[in-house]
Amino acid sequence: MSLILIAALPFLGALLPGLMIRSGRTACAWATASVTLTALIGLLVHAPAVMRGEVIQYQLEWMPLLGLNANFFLDGLGLLFAGLILGIGLLIIIYARFYLSRQDPMGQFYTYLLLFQGAMVGIVLSDNVLMLLIFWELTSLSSFLLIGYWKHLPEGRQGARMALAVTGMGGLALIGGMLILGNIVGSYDLTVILQNKELIQASPLYLPALILILLGCFTKSAQFPFHFWLPHAMAAPTPVSAYLHSATMVKAGLFLMARLWPVLAGTPEWFYIVATTGLITMVLGAVIALFKDDLKALLAFSTVSHLGLITMLLGFGTPFAAVVAVFHIINHATFKAALFMSAGIVDHETHTRDIKRLGGLRHLMPVTFTIVMVAGLSMAGIPLFNGFLSKEMMLDAATEAAWNGNHWLVPALATLGALFSVAYSFRLIVHTFLGPKRDDYPAKPHDPGFGMWAPPALLAVLVVLIGIMPALMVGPLVATASGAVIGGDLPYYSLKIWHGVNAALFMSIAAVVGGLVLLAMHRPLDAAWIRARRPEAKAIFDALMRAVTGAANALTDGLHNGAMTRYAAVFTLAVIAAGSAAWFGGTNPAPAREALAIGPVPLIGWILLMVATVCMVAYHRNRLLSLVLMGIVGLIVSVAFAYMSAPDLALTQISVEVVTIILLLLALNFLPKHSPVESSNARRFRDGTIAVLGGLAVGGLSLAMLLSDFSQESISAFHLANSKPGGGGTNVVNVILVDFRGFDTFGEIIVLGIAALVIFAMTESVLGSPVGAWLKQRPINPLEAGDRHPLMMVVATRVMMPIALMVGVFIFLRGHNEPGGGFIAGLIVAIALVMQYMASGFDWATARQRYPYHMIIALGVFAAAFTGIGSWFADRPFLTSNYGYFQIPPMGEFELATAMAFDVGVFLCVVGAVMLGLESLSRFAHRAGDRPSPYPMDIDPSRDLPQEAKDA
Amino acid sequence: MSTDMALWQEIVLAVFLVTAGIFGLVGSFGLIKLPDPMTRLHAPTKATTLGVGGVLIASMLYFFFAKGHLSFHELMITLFLFLTAPITAHFLAKANLHTNVARDEVPPPTGDRPWAGFESDEARRIAEEQASKGA
Repeated sequence: MSLILIAALPFLGALLPGLMIRSGRTACAWATASVTLTALIGLLVHAPAVMRGEVIQYQLEWMPLLGLNANFFLDGLGLLFAGLILGIGLLIIIYARFYLSRQDPMGQFYTYLLLFQGAMVGIVLSDNVLMLLIFWELTSLSSFLLIGYWKHLPEGRQGARMALAVTGMGGLALIGGMLILGNIVGSYDLTVILQNKELIQASPLYLPALILILLGCFTKSAQFPFHFWLPHAMAAPTPVSAYLHSATMVKAGLFLMARLWPVLAGTPEWFYIVATTGLITMVLGAVIALFKDDLKALLAFSTVSHLGLITMLLGFGTPFAAVVAVFHIINHATFKAALFMSAGIVDHETHTRDIKRLGGLRHLMPVTFTIVMVAGLSMAGIPLFNGFLSKEMMLDAATEAAWNGNHWLVPALATLGALFSVAYSFRLIVHTFLGPKRDDYPAKPHDPGFGMWAPPALLAVLVVLIGIMPALMVGPLVATASGAVIGGDLPYYSLKIWHGVNAALFMSIAAVVGGLVLLAMHRPLDAAWIRARRPEAKAIFDALMRAVTGAANALTDGLHNGAMTRYAAVFTLAVIAAGSAAWFGGTNPAPAREALAIGPVPLIGWILLMVATVCMVAYHRNRLLSLVLMGIVGLIVSVAFAYMSAPDLALTQISVEVVTIILLLLALNFLPKHSPVESSNARRFRDGTIAVLGGLAVGGLSLAMLLSDFSQESISAFHLANSKPGGGGTNVVNVILVDFRGFDTFGEIIVLGIAALVIFAMTESVLGSPVGAWLKQRPINPLEAGDRHPLMMVVATRVMMPIALMVGVFIFLRGHNEPGGGFIAGLIVAIALVMQYMASGFDWATARQRYPYHMIIALGVFAAAFTGIGSWFADRPFLTSNYGYFQIPPMGEFELATAMAFDVGVFLCVVGAVMLGLESLSRFAHRAGDRPSPYPMDIDPSRDLPQEAKDA
Repeated sequence: MSTDMALWQEIVLAVFLVTAGIFGLVGSFGLIKLPDPMTRLHAPTKATTLGVGGVLIASMLYFFFAKGHLSFHELMITLFLFLTAPITAHFLAKANLHTNVARDEVPPPTGDRPWAGFESDEARRIAEEQASKGA
């Protein structure tokens, strides 16, 4: 199976559980398991080749210019991890089927699990670091969903948020580090990066890259001081904990350290950062684990400790330590997954995970006891179990490490860690299962069904088999994976139980004896631990998050408190500041042209504009008057467009003005007639200063741009040259809209449609609220004006309607070559329709409107989309246009291009959006007592004639 | 102005233009000078119809004399002016009557019903229904 398929399969399969859950929980579990099983088989097909030392590759160019390619490769390390992820994933899927209760949405669970699985497989198979980063972030996101799966539990939500915050931040650091790394090497392909050890280690950016990458790895793998999120993530359902914290999520950090080991390891920086962090984490995690009463918390801290152990081994930088690290990754995954699942079984059957409330379960749950004992002894490092082998080798590696010249420190601390490890492992077994049988269990404990204990039992069997016959069971796998990590010849090592009498053996014996002594003294030690003042990670984290959130809120609210004035002021000042910095800081082009003398017509226009603007400032509190002044400004702007040879813009501007003024008039109906004075004089002075500054800056910039040449050749020349031969139209503006930048226009009409729908939705929600009720109950004033739909207006609009529609069609058809087009035509037709609404009233006009405006908008978007898609059938890219010339008898020759169908979409969208906005605003006017008039006009002389006259 | 027109043609054009200008000026002047809204309403409506109308006729004649073809754009403009000017005036008058004039200041209408602008739609509808029942 191709590698991309293996990585994609869980993502594709994530669609299945949601569908299969309708066929029952078992079917859902089977569907999920079959997805993972297929991917696992696909992976194992490659195993023989990889074991022979081959590297399987799959390459797909995605965005080659960015160096972002969907390249995958599979070597020993990838095989080991992908095998763990998919293999243990399969067991977890089976286990979760029996663990989750009927109240839990199982389809959701399996979907999240598969998403997570896909992201993990993606990480370990990626050959491109950018792809790896994407998958890395995906694991953070999908693990957030998994950890917070029990949404009703505050611990679950908080734990999920904490995990996301910590791993997400680490992910950000990792992105920085990886980009630096890619930059040093000049390639984002891992296989290339891995060959450039000297180049990377000689680079001055080595240390920053190393620190950023390690931040990513340490946060993910819960290394001190980021270890705190892992225990809090235990609020997740046990299958999630078992999966995330034994084989997958937290191993991602280790994987990345192992993956980059050939190029990053071997320097003093690497040793001191990685080995020290690992050592501290190992000891600290082991110590805390001993004093945790919650089974899962104990396992969580033991996981932290073991992750520290592996990190330390990788940090040593010696090939032998790397081999041990790989071996321990396998062993830890097996016994820890088994232990987590067993802890889940205990929780499931006794309804508590508190060790102090347990004990004596040996005879009540013999199967679980056996599994926990096997896995627990392995975790403690007792001979015949696999944990013993890697622990011995770890101690052996530790004896050779010297920390700052000190040969005792690392071995001593490693032994201490192992000692606590023995203590908590035995505590787990002894305090939970041994001792007298109690009679106060929250539930009656018994062994679970086969489906629930089989997955951990299988792992326990593996624990024993690897423990007894290591070389036979995992020898080749360890060799291949270690070979991939080291990237060179394997060091001498042997996977066997008896290594002879050496230092590691004595350290191991000391750890076991010391651990048993500690366990015997657990009661007084525990009391002392509870009394001691310990820093609480969650409190620190919460305080930190509160501070960060507070700072972010203060900044955001300071800049943007919801008031438009504040936002406009900040925006204007920022633009002025940036513009001034650019203007005064850079070189400015010398004026290349003389300013033209101002003619009388522009002068009059300018004076009108200025007078209107000044009046606006003076009279803006009278809202109707400001609307009139706005109309003047709009009109002058349209005239200015026409004067400066931009007829398209002029047409658009004038139609937009008309529609805007009508809609604003409607809105004004429900607003106070005057704006009250709300701001102080000082404030108005400040705002005035900002406004004047902004105006002067824009005016000055426009003048400078008009007087000088462009520093680079503008794209206009291209558009002018290609409009006719490429787009088939001589109206460049229209060709740009429907052809060159058709995709933009497509997006814009969708935005327009959405805006109209939002107006509609807001109207709906307002009218459904008490405000709506209040609006409806406004009394009808008997003194209000009558004859609202006068005969004169009705007749005139009826006369105008066909003319306006014809003008709309004409403007539309000529649009490709002459000023016009779908947008303007849409506005004109909308105005023609709005006139009918104004003349005969909303109800009368709506009753004659057979197509809902929502549908017109949708039709417009569809028309545009299908035009675009149509070009696919001619094997051309989206929205490629074709054209020809046709005679339409009364109106002359027109060009019909496929772009015209697109323009129909624009047209329909504009009509629908304008009319929907109008309709929404009009609905506010409805009052409870209103009776829609059956007549188009209020006073119709023909109605008042006597019956005889009508008959005549 | 181009010289390929006969003098009488130029004189005709000039007469139209000057007339239009005078009406425009008078209209604007009246807008300032006239005492109350109802009389003031006359000024701009006259200015639009006669003032702009004169310019339009001059424009048509110019194209006919100078270019030798009839231009119909002006006719369209005239049509729209004739359509919109009375309606605008009508609405202005209505609004003024409604907001600035007391109902008893207006001369009474013939018949027993008030002026349409003073009778709310609902009241009128009730009256109409009663009238049709009576008939």
